[in-house]
Amino acid sequence: MIVSSLQLQLAWVFLKIFLRDRQSIFFSLFFPIIFMTVFGFVSDSDQESISLGIANADESSMAADFVEQLRADSLFEVTLDSESNLRTQLEAGDQTLVLILPVNFEVDPDAAESTALRLLVDAAQVRQLALILPVLEQKLLAIERQFRGIAPMFSLQVEDVQARSQRYLDFLLPGLLAFTLMQLSIAGSGFNIVEYRRKGILKRLFVTPIRPRDFITAIVLARTAIVLLQLTVLIVFAVTVLGISIIGSFSAFYFVVVLGTFIFLNLGFCLGSLAKTQQAVMAVGNIVIFPQIFLSGVFYPIESMPEFIQPIAAALPLSFVATGLRDIANEGASLFAITPSLIGMAVWFVLGFVLATRLFVWKEVAN
Amino acid sequence: MNPMEPAAPEPIIQVHGLSKRYPQPDNRKANFLAVDAVSLSINQGEIFGILGPNGAGKTTTLEMLEGLNDIDGGSASIAGIDVASSPFKVKGIIGVQLQANEYFDHLSLAELLHLFAALYNRSIEPSELLAKVNLTDKEKAKPAQLSGGQKQRFSIACALVNEPLVLFLDEPTTGLDPQAKRNLWDLVRELNSSGMTIVLTTHNMEEAEILCHRLAIMDHGKVIAEGNPSELILAHAPEPPEMPTHGNLEDVFLALTGHELRE
Repeated sequence: MIVSSLQLQLAWVFLKIFLRDRQSIFFSLFFPIIFMTVFGFVSDSDQESISLGIANADESSMAADFVEQLRADSLFEVTLDSESNLRTQLEAGDQTLVLILPVNFEVDPDAAESTALRLLVDAAQVRQLALILPVLEQKLLAIERQFRGIAPMFSLQVEDVQARSQRYLDFLLPGLLAFTLMQLSIAGSGFNIVEYRRKGILKRLFVTPIRPRDFITAIVLARTAIVLLQLTVLIVFAVTVLGISIIGSFSAFYFVVVLGTFIFLNLGFCLGSLAKTQQAVMAVGNIVIFPQIFLSGVFYPIESMPEFIQPIAAALPLSFVATGLRDIANEGASLFAITPSLIGMAVWFVLGFVLATRLFVWKEVAN
Repeated sequence: MNPMEPAAPEPIIQVHGLSKRYPQPDNRKANFLAVDAVSLSINQGEIFGILGPNGAGKTTTLEMLEGLNDIDGGSASIAGIDVASSPFKVKGIIGVQLQANEYFDHLSLAELLHLFAALYNRSIEPSELLAKVNLTDKEKAKPAQLSGGQKQRFSIACALVNEPLVLFLDEPTTGLDPQAKRNLWDLVRELNSSGMTIVLTTHNMEEAEILCHRLAIMDHGKVIAEGNPSELILAHAPEPPEMPTHGNLEDVFLALTGHELRE
């Protein structure tokens, strides 16, 4: 695509218009930043220790020793109190678990009968319990072994082949950037067109000898520059403040960003040409945007969706962009390695461009 | 040149049997003719007014001449260029002021004029154009900061960036106060005195009478009368036989289009 000097000149004018609209630039960044920060904290809180209340009715040294063992473990945050007090705290949600050591806690380590330890739980927190109970059982088993003086038969040595820690936020960020890119682009072309039509600006432009493709190219160039700027701010924030790492090359990452921006700007032009009013473009825009939020693997992997939805989900434009960005950011994939995503994006780009130029007919869009 | 014998008028805009069909508002299947076989001949260097009640087809006629609207029947040419077959050529030699005159936010008047000049592949000096329309020192202002009259004059400045042969003004004085209105008339006369052909639509009889050299009165998509204001008054104003003066153009207008309220 060769860009004429008129198109560049126009693009520069649009860039000025967009850049001077500081309010909308600020608010379009506000939401993703809040979103990333919240998710950053949520996924960090997984590391928090489990609050465990212990009511120790036994005065033996063995019971005291047992409590000490649990206290020493950083997984648990142990509170010692009476059973009734702890029960109240559990009900109030201040304790996750309450363990009750019976009076006759001290038993002969060689005794065949096991000592029953009562565990009070709040079954409303089922999801958490499923994760926590095995941890507690593990701990009890370890303490038991220590008391009995026996070594575990097996020990698991976990080796991370990825050799890096991957948090949910690392998974989320590329998808969130892809999603933000989609929103900014669709709004940046589609919503603008409708606004310009409402004000009669398109009509005014149309009585000059400007060609539709010059107009579209100029807006695409200017909007792409703005979207790149906005995403760069988000990426810098994610890397410096939230400690996200982008493993692959930045140039590959930005290549996919630019391609994605082109796709959604074109789709935005289609929307802006079809919808005649601001309300209509919002409604149609949501039809395009919402399913993609849930189906495009932005928040959770496409593989975790029902079997029959997966092929549809994988073919959505946002899926290709999100998957491409994620492969580069999380796995350090090269552009060559993400060829399938690139082909998907290329198809959507061509499709969007053909549709946009077909649908954007001066006479109809301007009037 | 002998002022008593002006050169033979040379038509710059020629319109033959121009028609535009629209679906009827209450029955989408049926069509009506918004513009019905309109023929006009507008001479170079004249101020030509198109008068008519709301919905008479004035704006649609202008939009077809400007290449904004498809021509469903008949033909139109400006400076010998056929509008239907070479719309972009025609757009290059005309200047247009539309009824809506909003512009991009965040751009100053000078920047907007540069933008419009770029669309014609020209470069201009914004201060000169703004001085021409009496907006000196407003280069850095934004359109939103202008008054109604200033906005209209700025619209005309935008329409002048390509030094057009023909300037189209769609209801240029609607909504202006008397001062702003007269100021705009002066501007139109001034532009016309340099040889520019000006075509305007209006509801304002005073404007038609004292500003326009020739007029066409339209109603229901048809041209129902054409001529210079005094000819029209002579021919159509209802005669109060004893009175030496023959009423005014508003009488002509009402006699031709009736008293019934429109839209």
